Amino acid sequence: MVPLGAYIAVSAALFFIGCAGVLVRRNAVVILMCVELMLNAANLALVAFSRRYGAVDERGSVFVIFVFVIAAAEVAVGLAIVLSAYRNRPVVDVDEIRAMKG
Amino acid sequence: MTFDFVEPVVFAVLAIGVIAAGASVVLINRITAAALLMALTFLCMAGMFVLLGAETIAAFQVLIYVGAITVLILYGVMFTKYGDRPYGLFFQRQTPLAAVFVFALAVPVAIWAFTFTAPPPRPGGGDLPSLATSVFTDFSFPFEVASVLLLAAMVGAIVLTKRDEAREFEARRP
Repeated sequence: MVPLGAYIAVSAALFFIGCAGVLVRRNAVVILMCVELMLNAANLALVAFSRRYGAVDERGSVFVIFVFVIAAAEVAVGLAIVLSAYRNRPVVDVDEIRAMKG
Repeated sequence: MTFDFVEPVVFAVLAIGVIAAGASVVLINRITAAALLMALTFLCMAGMFVLLGAETIAAFQVLIYVGAITVLILYGVMFTKYGDRPYGLFFQRQTPLAAVFVFALAVPVAIWAFTFTAPPPRPGGGDLPSLATSVFTDFSFPFEVASVLLLAAMVGAIVLTKRDEAREFEARRP
């Protein structure tokens, strides 16, 4: 029987790994990957609480399904933005994309 | 002889897989390998969902994350071809500050996370009936809104990546 705290700790660890990735990496595609890692860490916490604490109807798990939808939409639009920026100038580093800076 | 030791062992393997693969996504230089390690993270996460008794969520996880999102990211990697960088160059300038900040925040949260306890779990039986009941009764309106959101994201992605052929032709003409 694995305690609930262990799941929450894994979730927190993955969330902070993703957070560090968003803050330190330059490549825009890797930043998108790290955002996905953070969303997935939140999913683990939601499912763990929903299965162990929840009432009979699994509201937390329903929320996870909506997070799946948001994640798919986010990665599609994010990659489209990265690709259209890449087409203007072949650069994927976020600190070199300065086209919209004044 | 009981098999109570199997679940903690499986959990430990999956936890090591999730954290090691996640950390490699941040630290590894080769971006294709990072994308595949991200898929490994998602797969280990699906194993954790099965361990929690949420088989339907695990199936969605494999279908959407390991299938669709990884393929999308790999397409993104393929279209933005960019040579391998020297290791020092792929981190931002604010890396030390960001690392200290995240570490200072992560350690107390991770310790605090272990304090959660829960009542013993309900007897199993899968999560599909309760999930379906919730989605199609209480959450049917957000469910429809989610489909509109996906449609909007699809149209937006197509519009953002569409090439303006006539203008490109004009620009190329001497």
